[in-house]
Amino acid sequence: MGRAVSVRAQAVRRGQGLRGRLLAAFVLVAVPPLLLFAVFVMALLSDRLERAAGQRLRQGIDGVRARVTGLQRQAEAGVASIVHDNLSSAPLTEEKTRSAAEELGASHGLPLLEIVDGSGRVLSSRQWPAGVGLPEGDREVAGASHLRWETVADDYGAAERMAVVATRPATWGGVPVVVRGGFPLDAEMLAELSDLMGAEVALRDTARGRWVARADSPLAQAAPFDPAKGEGTVDISGTAYRWAAAPLGTSLWEVVAVPHTLLAVVTGGVGWVTLGVAVLALLAALVTALVLSGRIAGPVRALAARARAVGAGDLEHTAVEASDEVGELAHAFASMTHELRTSRERLVQAERVAAWREMARRLAHELKNPIFPIQLSIETLRRALDQDGAQDGARFQSLFRESSDTILDELRSLRAIVEEFSQFARMPPPRLAPTDLGELVERVLALYRARAATVHIETELAAGLPPVPADRDLLARALGNLVANALEAMPDGGTLAVKTRAVGEGVALEVSDTGPGLTEEQRTRLFTPYYTTKKGGTGLGLAIVQGIVSDHGGRIQVESAPGAGTTFTLVLPSAPIMMATP
Amino acid sequence: MRPEPNVVRAAAAAMVLALALGRGPSARSALGPRYGGELRIAVAEAATTVEPSVPRGLADRILAGLMHEMLLGVDEEGRPRPALAQSWASAADGREWTLRLAAATFHDGAPVGSADAVRGLRRFLRSESAAAAHLARALEGGDEYRRRGTEALPGLIALDEGRLVLRFRVATAVPLAPLASPAAAIVSGRGAGAGPFVPTTPPSARGVSATAFGRHVRGRPFLDVVRLIAAPSDRAARSEGLAADVAASATPLPPAAGLLLLLLDPAAPPLADGRVRALIAASVDRAQLARHFLPGGEAAEVLIAPTLLPALPVPPPRVPPGPAPVSGRLVLRVSSEVPQSASQRVVAHLTALGLEVRAVAAPVASAPPGSPRLLVWYPEVAEAGLALEELAALAGSPAPVRTALEAADSVRDFDRRRADLQRIEESLRATHVLVPLARLPLPLGARSGVHALRATASGALVVENAWVEP
Repeated sequence: MGRAVSVRAQAVRRGQGLRGRLLAAFVLVAVPPLLLFAVFVMALLSDRLERAAGQRLRQGIDGVRARVTGLQRQAEAGVASIVHDNLSSAPLTEEKTRSAAEELGASHGLPLLEIVDGSGRVLSSRQWPAGVGLPEGDREVAGASHLRWETVADDYGAAERMAVVATRPATWGGVPVVVRGGFPLDAEMLAELSDLMGAEVALRDTARGRWVARADSPLAQAAPFDPAKGEGTVDISGTAYRWAAAPLGTSLWEVVAVPHTLLAVVTGGVGWVTLGVAVLALLAALVTALVLSGRIAGPVRALAARARAVGAGDLEHTAVEASDEVGELAHAFASMTHELRTSRERLVQAERVAAWREMARRLAHELKNPIFPIQLSIETLRRALDQDGAQDGARFQSLFRESSDTILDELRSLRAIVEEFSQFARMPPPRLAPTDLGELVERVLALYRARAATVHIETELAAGLPPVPADRDLLARALGNLVANALEAMPDGGTLAVKTRAVGEGVALEVSDTGPGLTEEQRTRLFTPYYTTKKGGTGLGLAIVQGIVSDHGGRIQVESAPGAGTTFTLVLPSAPIMMATP
Repeated sequence: MRPEPNVVRAAAAAMVLALALGRGPSARSALGPRYGGELRIAVAEAATTVEPSVPRGLADRILAGLMHEMLLGVDEEGRPRPALAQSWASAADGREWTLRLAAATFHDGAPVGSADAVRGLRRFLRSESAAAAHLARALEGGDEYRRRGTEALPGLIALDEGRLVLRFRVATAVPLAPLASPAAAIVSGRGAGAGPFVPTTPPSARGVSATAFGRHVRGRPFLDVVRLIAAPSDRAARSEGLAADVAASATPLPPAAGLLLLLLDPAAPPLADGRVRALIAASVDRAQLARHFLPGGEAAEVLIAPTLLPALPVPPPRVPPGPAPVSGRLVLRVSSEVPQSASQRVVAHLTALGLEVRAVAAPVASAPPGSPRLLVWYPEVAEAGLALEELAALAGSPAPVRTALEAADSVRDFDRRRADLQRIEESLRATHVLVPLARLPLPLGARSGVHALRATASGALVVENAWVEP
């Protein structure tokens, strides 16, 4: 039973191995291409998004330049118009001077307008009237004459605003002046540009260390970076921004930045989708593997079970449902089983016939031996009677007695043969009872120890053997036959060993001798009834032993080789739960 | 015996009414005041308190003038004028003054008595008021009481229901002037004032309303109702359907009593350097500032208004020798009463000197040390000596100035005292911590049809005599 469980476990493992290999195969087929595809898609998306970001940055840079250029043209047109048309030569009054910038700026659409005298003192200012009469201050942007930091009124004080301006000299009231007008590049305008471009637009004055950006622009919160590098990436509050910069002056830069979150979001999305598809693919692979392995392995397992049954002797036809190659295998197996069954039947019949022939031969041989002496004795008596009966009665009587003794001996021999045959034919069914095998061995050996003068008898009886359900007499007869055979095989002495031990299915009883051993042919025909290697043997002894063992539900096997002695092993099942009581 | 003010007003009104019935509308204003009507005054910020205290802004000053009454007022020379105290007499060579209370009534109907006066003055003596500090120094036991070292105040006694006595350690020049401080207003036991108008709504962010108090000590005001409306601008007030009779105007009410004062706190650089302060003081073109950036304003070279203290000739500003060490950053705290254009002009001047200035609108009273301030200053009491004490406190009470002021306070000769005060003003100004820039009137102007509305030297608005044409 333990062996059967082991076989079953191995079969289960084989089934799982096929399923596992199928699953691994499907996973290897499905998942790597998917992963490769995802990597490819992410790389492609990353590249596309990077290019798109670069394009947006370039568009932003160009857009700011275009806006600045446009404002500069407008400023130039406005200032030119003021200079040409609106600055009178009449002497100026203080009031007129002060209010001129506000009026002219409003009429010409210039939010910023200042008129400065030759000494740099502000005569009139629309954006910073509080500065009238005071020096204008150094507000230029190096390398960009059209850009300035303009002071503008802001609440209770002033603020500096980056502005696009146009400047023209003029004469006003006979006084040489400079008219400067323009538009602010302030947070509001940059916010408008940012919304238009879809990117953060700001100005960076590296000389003053200042940003001009909309109120909530992340660029104003960024760690300082050098716009002179042209482009780069900067982290702002945990978000990566890609930026590009272009100079507007020596120290003034326009900076455009776009967040890299889109790339991270998209690649993250692709990653999640890939993961999801990979999980689905794995599940599909698992299901497919289970289904296919069941369809493949099932018929294979059934086939294996039929093979095991065939090996155990069950040759009954049982169809294994399968198709394709497995079905071909199953069909071939079924054919083989049928052939095996037919062959076995023929073999059984042949053996049966052979057994009958052997028995007839043995019977003829056994009977012939005693019959010939009987016939000869009777013929001798008739001859004596015919020849000497009338004249010498005493000789006839002596001859009669001798011949009658011979006849009686041969008749007794015939009776013995008939009795033995009768016993073999009428082997009684065993009456099973718990039997101590060790005790039985000792009892049988005790009967043969007197005959084993030159043979050393050894016993190795295992302790604690479970009782064996057996018919004591029949088992003793079987053991006695084996012991007698072993002693007969060692006429010149040797060692007879009898052992008992526990085995998986029950108890084993070994009878070994150190006789001449058996050839291969002898071993294979050993249990055939009437086969004997001994002179005067009936050939039924081992057949009887085999019959007894078989009736006990056990089996007998022999191991022997020429010159190596012979070992008979009887394996008897252990006691069942319910045992027959004597 | 003088007729009661109410009777006078009533008679005048009757005459006006009679004449008006026979005249057209165009001539009504020429007939004089009339009872009735409502006056809406729009101010930039709402009043912050109804308790007697030193007013922090225009709305507080106006509301104090509506609701409260002090024992005395002062004229331009610091001499007392009757209010809740109708008369006073001195004794002991000016060290004891007895005030007789008028037959006045609080808004809650309770009569004004000496106990109320004493209670009010005791509270006043412990208030955050320069005038109170001055009075406490002068009164017997006043210093200790003000420091809360004792509850005994032997210098202030309620003689009887209608009289109270003030006893001073020494005779001083203007002993009763501190009583004119708005912080010295007298209220009843339940907190009711005795001013010409009774508040009908509690002050809120939107303003306050008050109705005429018929039993005011000087008679019922002409107006029935005065509404003080908090609106950032007259436009805002109009947008809410509250057209104001008095609001910010290009023609504000005279006089120009407010001082646009630049306070250069020397506690921190760059203002810790006296040369920098002198340079700043000399650089501001006051004439331009007043003319172009302060409607109704005039340049101010001295700290005290000439109406309170005639100024000594002020030499032209002198730029200190040596290289101008002006650089640095300043955060200039600007009072909300300062016109934005004026503040911007001051910033422009400071910027032209080389300073980086950031101007922020913030309460100047709570400014941290070392921060310059630009404010409109009104004296708590329109008396030169008390005004100088107040300014000295703003400048950190420099010891020489404080000593000189105490000395001047004991000078009872008017001319000599005036000369002392002039010198004190000059020395205070010479530190360049307080830089006078201009004088400006209340930022309020009345529409046509509003009459007899007057501003005071303390920045208050006298409404009790105002009337409106129908």
